[in-house]
Amino acid sequence: MDPNQKAQLDSLVARLAEGDRAAFTPVFQALWQPVRRLCRSMLANDADAADAAQQALEKVLTRSGDYDRKRPALSWALAIAAWECRTFARKRARRREIAEEQVAETGAGSEQELIERELMRAAVDALGTLTPQDREALVATFWEEATNVAGATLRKRRERALKRLRDTFKRIYGLD
Amino acid sequence: MDSIDLARVERRARRKYEWARVRRAVFGFAPALFVVASAAFMNHRSSTALVLGAAMFVVGVGLLWYGRELRRAVLPGLAMGLLPLALALCANHMGHACMGDRCMTLCVPACAVGGLGAGIGISLIGLRWKQGWPFWIGATTLTLLTGAMGCSCVGYGGVAGLAFGYAVGLLCGFVRRRSSRSL
Repeated sequence: MDPNQKAQLDSLVARLAEGDRAAFTPVFQALWQPVRRLCRSMLANDADAADAAQQALEKVLTRSGDYDRKRPALSWALAIAAWECRTFARKRARRREIAEEQVAETGAGSEQELIERELMRAAVDALGTLTPQDREALVATFWEEATNVAGATLRKRRERALKRLRDTFKRIYGLD
Repeated sequence: MDSIDLARVERRARRKYEWARVRRAVFGFAPALFVVASAAFMNHRSSTALVLGAAMFVVGVGLLWYGRELRRAVLPGLAMGLLPLALALCANHMGHACMGDRCMTLCVPACAVGGLGAGIGISLIGLRWKQGWPFWIGATTLTLLTGAMGCSCVGYGGVAGLAFGYAVGLLCGFVRRRSSRSL
């Protein structure tokens, strides 16, 4: 931007700060490329730089009311834009950290699920070695299925079936 | 080269710019709410003062939001409006002036005098700052609304007194200016 263009930009931003809406589009057009270049130099990713440049320019324009006409408008705008790009980069880094943590947590969840699935498969295998009566008592207890016995009889059967299941599980897997 | 829809970006930036101006205007004019609250508290007709105060606040925010010459009218308009407001509120508390068996409220003369002073003040400022018609309209509206919060003490009569005094004050200011130029 040559000194003439800079002086023109100073006057346009001062007009915008005063509320002259006619200066909005010229200011936007004059600042877009410098802000975009700055964001591209600060953020390696081109797509991120484009997003950051949009946010930065919005911030510059919304803060135009604070513009001090004694200062050069371009450096004032680029200072705001640089800050915005830095904020954008920090947010992006934080998002990535959170995403990595989520991935790690999801991994831990999968491992837990795997263990549970293994235990369930072992329990079902052990259940298969029991008599049909024991199986029925346990299924009625833990899966709330209807059974042809109830009350004290069911409780007794369940106790016996659980003991046998525990013994079988211990014998097969060596676990209690 | 650029895949970004710049027109869309500009529209969004413009929207945000306007909202930022509204926010600044509301915060900037917020101290005027203290004037409104005081006027409503001291005026016997609190509801009228509140309605006029709300109108004054909206106008003030509108002027600040729009900017340019209208924005410059806010401070003189509010400051000059305080003159009839203060006089009217004082007169309101002083009651009546009685001469013989006839009594009259002091509110209307106080409003007229306050309006006169405000009109002279606005005309002096406007002429010194060489402002255009937006300034005059903005300042007049804000002065009259601010003053009317106090001048509503006796209904429309007080407000009419204020408006009359203000118009005379403005005229005095213009005449004084013209006569000083011709000399």
